[in-house]
Amino acid sequence: MVALLQVQNLSVGLPFSAPLLDAISFDIAEGERVGLVGASGCGKSLTAGTLCGLLRAPLRVLAGSVRLDGTSLTDASPAIWRAARGRSVFQIFQSPGTALTPVRRVGTQLAEAAQIAGRDTKAAVSQALDAVALQPDVTGLFPYQLSGGMKQRVLIAMALILRPRLLIADEPTTGLDVLTEHDILTALNTAADETGASVLFISHDLRAVHRIATRTLVMHAGRLVEDADIADLAISKAPAARALATAATALQNPC
Amino acid sequence: MIERRLSLPALRFGLRGGRFGLMMGVALLLGFVVLGLSPLFVDIAPPAQIDLLARLAGPSDTHPLGTDHLGRDVLSRLIHAVPVSLGAAFATMLAILAIALPWGVIAAVAGGRVDMVMMRLADIIMAFPTLVLALAIIGFMGASLQASIIGIAAAWWPSNARMVRALVLSASQRDFVRAAYLSGASRLRVIVRHILPQVLPPLAVIISLETASVLLALSALSFLGIGAQPPTPEWGAMLNQARPFFAQAPHMLLVPGLAVTAAVLALNLIGEGLRDLLDTREPYEW
Amino acid sequence: MLRFILIRLAVAVPTLLGMSVVAFAIVAIAPGDPVMMELRALGVVPKPEDIAALRAEYGLDQPFLLRYLDWLGRAVQLDLGTSIATGRSVVTEIAMRLPATLSLAVSALIGAVLVSVVFGVCALSRNRGVAACMRGLTILLVSIPSFWLALLFIYLFVLTIGWGRLVGDGTWSDLILPALTLGLGAGASLGRVVYERIRAELSEDHIRLAIAKGLAPRRILISHIAPRIVGPLATAWANTFGALLGGVVIVESIFGWPGLGQLILQAIAQRDFPVIQAYLVFMGLIFFTMSILADIVVFFTDPQLRRTLSDD
Repeated sequence: MVALLQVQNLSVGLPFSAPLLDAISFDIAEGERVGLVGASGCGKSLTAGTLCGLLRAPLRVLAGSVRLDGTSLTDASPAIWRAARGRSVFQIFQSPGTALTPVRRVGTQLAEAAQIAGRDTKAAVSQALDAVALQPDVTGLFPYQLSGGMKQRVLIAMALILRPRLLIADEPTTGLDVLTEHDILTALNTAADETGASVLFISHDLRAVHRIATRTLVMHAGRLVEDADIADLAISKAPAARALATAATALQNPC
Repeated sequence: MIERRLSLPALRFGLRGGRFGLMMGVALLLGFVVLGLSPLFVDIAPPAQIDLLARLAGPSDTHPLGTDHLGRDVLSRLIHAVPVSLGAAFATMLAILAIALPWGVIAAVAGGRVDMVMMRLADIIMAFPTLVLALAIIGFMGASLQASIIGIAAAWWPSNARMVRALVLSASQRDFVRAAYLSGASRLRVIVRHILPQVLPPLAVIISLETASVLLALSALSFLGIGAQPPTPEWGAMLNQARPFFAQAPHMLLVPGLAVTAAVLALNLIGEGLRDLLDTREPYEW
Repeated sequence: MLRFILIRLAVAVPTLLGMSVVAFAIVAIAPGDPVMMELRALGVVPKPEDIAALRAEYGLDQPFLLRYLDWLGRAVQLDLGTSIATGRSVVTEIAMRLPATLSLAVSALIGAVLVSVVFGVCALSRNRGVAACMRGLTILLVSIPSFWLALLFIYLFVLTIGWGRLVGDGTWSDLILPALTLGLGAGASLGRVVYERIRAELSEDHIRLAIAKGLAPRRILISHIAPRIVGPLATAWANTFGALLGGVVIVESIFGWPGLGQLILQAIAQRDFPVIQAYLVFMGLIFFTMSILADIVVFFTDPQLRRTLSDD
């Protein structure tokens, strides 16, 4: 069976200098939930950006290929990317505070997602808000009137409306308190359950990843060093993976 | 590993639009400086030498750019106008900065009431259209190059003061500046060691672009006859004097205009090029 | 909304007063004695008694504050003195020519806004060649002096092709060339602002999300970028209008457009102080009004600003 996402030997970086992502290869099957962990600056967000075609110039794909749902996304034209984004792949970005357009109401921005997905706006929006436990009157508010956690849930609602085949969540709980983190992760699980989407959950926190996925990728200094179940990380051949597992266990010791 | 080749060879050397423009601008400006200094090294016909028999002649061997309505060599006048036009523009910019820099820095650093009063004063002057205010000042002082320099400086300084203030304010918000204050550094020390280095690059952009604008205004005033007075050679004034004759002598129409355009272009290229260099945020490709 | 306008106007009063002080006091920088100059301009040989009498009549022997208040009192009744050159009321002189200048400035502004949208949007084109071309053209147009462009246009259109006239009398067809001259330069300058604004917006996180949703560029431009830049653009338009109010002086004199430009140049040549002063006052008031209108637009397009100001 062909995997939903096939990444082969992907190298990304500035032209004529050492690549920031070095020959990354991994697959994600349909409906599979995978984590992507690593220390800060190891290239996780860069990977996520590449999968959405949102690399900022002069960063570019130097080598390798990305295939999503049968379509090759390497060197794809803007038209192909426009068709792929929202429907095949969608990303919840790292800072919810600045992700929503400040001058448009939440409802309008969610309605846009419904239009992309080709669904009835009213129904889709109210269903999605319900699933992430947000009040329906949120649609009349502007982003500045929402808290960080609420904004993040709006983004997850957006993902629910869009129903992408692959949902990437880049550090969705970083910077949020533990209670909100719990809500977000629950909402994320709901979204994945309801849409049957594959999820790539990026975080530097193994415990959060564990709530969503069993299999996880470990990156270190631009390289993919491990691709295994979380439970097996402690005995991984890669030192970076073992270090992460040890740190996570240490933090988990009860108070 | 397959290296994808970049489309334009120039891009391989990191030569993007901004840097190219900056280099061209600097080259143009240096060209003008050399041109302006050339009378010291090369024998050029005196700019004031009147030769009525040769008036309105086209380009020739003796007069490479022709002669004006009084038979004076156009090339010579053009060259001698460089220190006048460019010199006046730089002098005006210096005057503007002499007021705007301290005004903006003090207002930003002092904050509170002082800031409010200083900015209100600047706003009052900015409430008048700039060229209109300059015209009024020249009107009351009497037309001359000095009056136009003073008039433009008086009209242009408030907007520059506001820009300086904005730069200093945003520089002060940076965390390391706050940390410096907290560690007990004196205000002066913080300004000199932490704020000024941040402010200088965008300030360089502002200075280039504003000097371009000032140069345009000065030539316009000289064109109107209320700036540089005859027989002082000045590009705008030369164009004004050529007006009755340009049907017969088109070269007099082209040359001084090209000179002003080239000088202003040089300054604009430098300003925009510097801005491009400093601008690190690249847009997303939609 | 009304609250905001009232507050803005209340804040404006000290600025207006300050402007009136500037307009009044600026006469003081004139070298020489205004009374002597007026007498000389009238062709009268001044006798000491005449001078003293005239000084008393003008209240020049009064302290500054009283003279200012007296002037201000007359000014708000639209009495700004009489022109030394023509003897007519200054306000009449200005009122005769103001419509022509305003119509030129407004048409130039409209032209400039249209040009700026074309330039700004084209400069963002994905096609590298088109974008570079546009940016180069913009920087060139911004550097060409308006007086030279005007002369070139006259040479090209009037003398060579034969459109237009050298001496206009204020009919609409005479407006085209002067408005085009001013509009091109101002449009290129505004185009720079449009380009920079859109480019800055394109680097923002919320645009990244809009792109990630799969929205088309046109939709992103209209729905997510335009509302953010309307406020700053309105301010830029107001500032451009101010620059145009000055620029018309140059262009009117070249094209013979019968506006305030010719009036002020004559006044400068003839040291006609009442006219110069009134010109300053009128232009200041017009520009000030445009700035307030721009502020209102900024207020309306920023939801956060609206809320914070109306929640008080």
